[in-house]
Amino acid sequence: MKDKNFEIVSVAEDTGGIKDAGKWIEAAKPEYTVLIDEKHLVTRLYDMVNVPTAVWINEKGRIVRPNEVAYVDDRYKGMHKLEAAEYLNAIRDWAANGERSVFALSEKELKERLTPQNPNWAQAAAEFGLAEYLYHQGQKLASIQHYKEAQRLNPDNWNYKRQAWALSDAEQDYGTTFLKEVQKLNGKPYYPPRRLPETKKPEVKKKN
Amino acid sequence: MKKMLFLISSMLLCLVAVVIAQSAPAMASRRVVVYDNIATEVAAPPTTFAATNDDLWVTLGDLTRATKFALKPQGVCRDELCFPIPKARKSAFLSAQGKITWFNLSEFARLLRQPAAHDASLGEAKDAVWFFGPRSEEQNSFVSSLMAPNFKLPDANGKQHSLSEFRGKKVLLLTWASW
Repeated sequence: MKDKNFEIVSVAEDTGGIKDAGKWIEAAKPEYTVLIDEKHLVTRLYDMVNVPTAVWINEKGRIVRPNEVAYVDDRYKGMHKLEAAEYLNAIRDWAANGERSVFALSEKELKERLTPQNPNWAQAAAEFGLAEYLYHQGQKLASIQHYKEAQRLNPDNWNYKRQAWALSDAEQDYGTTFLKEVQKLNGKPYYPPRRLPETKKPEVKKKN
Repeated sequence: MKKMLFLISSMLLCLVAVVIAQSAPAMASRRVVVYDNIATEVAAPPTTFAATNDDLWVTLGDLTRATKFALKPQGVCRDELCFPIPKARKSAFLSAQGKITWFNLSEFARLLRQPAAHDASLGEAKDAVWFFGPRSEEQNSFVSSLMAPNFKLPDANGKQHSLSEFRGKKVLLLTWASW
């Protein structure tokens, strides 16, 4: 896909940095750019609430599809029930057709989808940032109460939960685990729904 | 020779004493500000000027060291950016204690609608920490500009990359995690 002026920039949202993300990168032997984001900067900048999340950005640096769950294979399909193929086709269509792709949103459509950050979420991000700072300083006990506060202020943000649980004995420190929380949803998805338009059928030329 | 040894050892003792004197109170409660993701240790106000809440008061020198903002006649400024202090509430922002003027960084954050979080548990490291997030209009600028916020991060070999390097290409920005 390189010839179509298309690049993948993949970012590991891992407080543990290369120590945690490294073995995954080695195993994947990627041909695209992989960056390490120990401070969850991209999550904060783009107001993301889960992984994997993708944003599409055009040649001029404008967003053409905002935050969206982005499974590119079917490894965890049992949990999230989202077909990767549908999404991959959408990416291919955009890579080939650019702004003409039905999947690339116009400025007007994008403005309808992007909303200013809820102040509670902004406060949650500060609590999460503080927790991360404390954790990196070796103040694990102090960090837990701020991870909890971030989770309370923004319960929709699974990054805050899953990262905190992964750094801890989740059962002991948070009284729960990722699997338990997913089971509680009882089949309800823990991602905002994907909003891909139905792919346009290839136009059939009418016979005159 | 003996005199020399005595001199050296007493100098060493002095040095040790100085180091202890400097580190002991610091160990008890360092005050750390995290601003724009950069941590800076700041001085504590005198005990006679105890803030009644969790607000963070800093010297004007520490204000600039920690945040790059400086107090100017027209307001609190960083480069072209200036925020005037509301005249009627000046005392909520500034307080002169003897020769030193203290600035309330928490009140300033509220003025800018900037989220702040505070840890006073004096946990394992005995630090009191104040964390300041981005100002609301900074955080939300892409909602009106529609432009992808830029960032700079290292790859697995430590080489730094900016998103803006990819200008001129379509980019699929994809986040994932090991957890």
